[in-house]
Amino acid sequence: MNSEFKPLADAIYRERVLRARRTPPEERLLDGVRLYDQALERMRMGVQLQHPEAGAEEVECLLVSRVQKMWRLSDHGYYRPA
Amino acid sequence: MSDDHIPHMKRVAQALEATGVAHVLVGSMSSNVHGFARATKDMGLVVQTDVAGLDRLFAAIADSFDLDPQASFETVTGTLRHIAVAKGSKFKVEVFCLSPDEHDQERFRRRLSVNYPSLNARVCILTAEDVIITKLRWARVKDLEDVKDVIAVQEPSALDWNYIHHWTDLHGTRAKLDALRAEIPTID
Repeated sequence: MNSEFKPLADAIYRERVLRARRTPPEERLLDGVRLYDQALERMRMGVQLQHPEAGAEEVECLLVSRVQKMWRLSDHGYYRPA
Repeated sequence: MSDDHIPHMKRVAQALEATGVAHVLVGSMSSNVHGFARATKDMGLVVQTDVAGLDRLFAAIADSFDLDPQASFETVTGTLRHIAVAKGSKFKVEVFCLSPDEHDQERFRRRLSVNYPSLNARVCILTAEDVIITKLRWARVKDLEDVKDVIAVQEPSALDWNYIHHWTDLHGTRAKLDALRAEIPTID
């Protein structure tokens, strides 16, 4: 990292750490799922933008197909069929 | 349309408690508890049970999840994995059978049982030390970020470094651990 930005990056990281310490572990556990739900919402908007003609049901199908592709990519090289 | 997957998580947590299947939460959910929350697309569990126990668990969530008929092996420890996907949803549960791997056994033995009122259930989680050791072994970019974040969020004095060093020496991941620790800025 460019040394000019390191103090700023460290300060931002420190703030994140302190905020995480103030957040109860149970909330951090649930926040992971909430963040995923928010990410899905943005993916859904992206699908809708790419396919303006698609209805809600088709958008949902395209979104599910993207999510499944993401799962396959994340498994690649780490799992093999039993 | 929007998604809310917390009820799915709650469903699984309550099924674990109801069936009495010995388990521990692993993966990103376990690092979220000890470090930063990051988006979690699945609920990873290691279970110690027999086929009947697995059947009981999957039967208990069958109204909300579909079991993938294709099981798979994880390549680091050879653990068998089953997947259940929430019906009409984009959330999955990965159920790994406890392997004979020494660290897999030890982290399971050391797991912590925690009551989560928002899930209406007790769930077993990994200790922070075992999250660090496991994620160093997997060593994907996101795993190494998680290791750094868990170390930073936990007070350094709260971690059992002798235990961590024992396993990272055995796994050959000590150098990686030391490099990540050196990257963490002073927090307090």
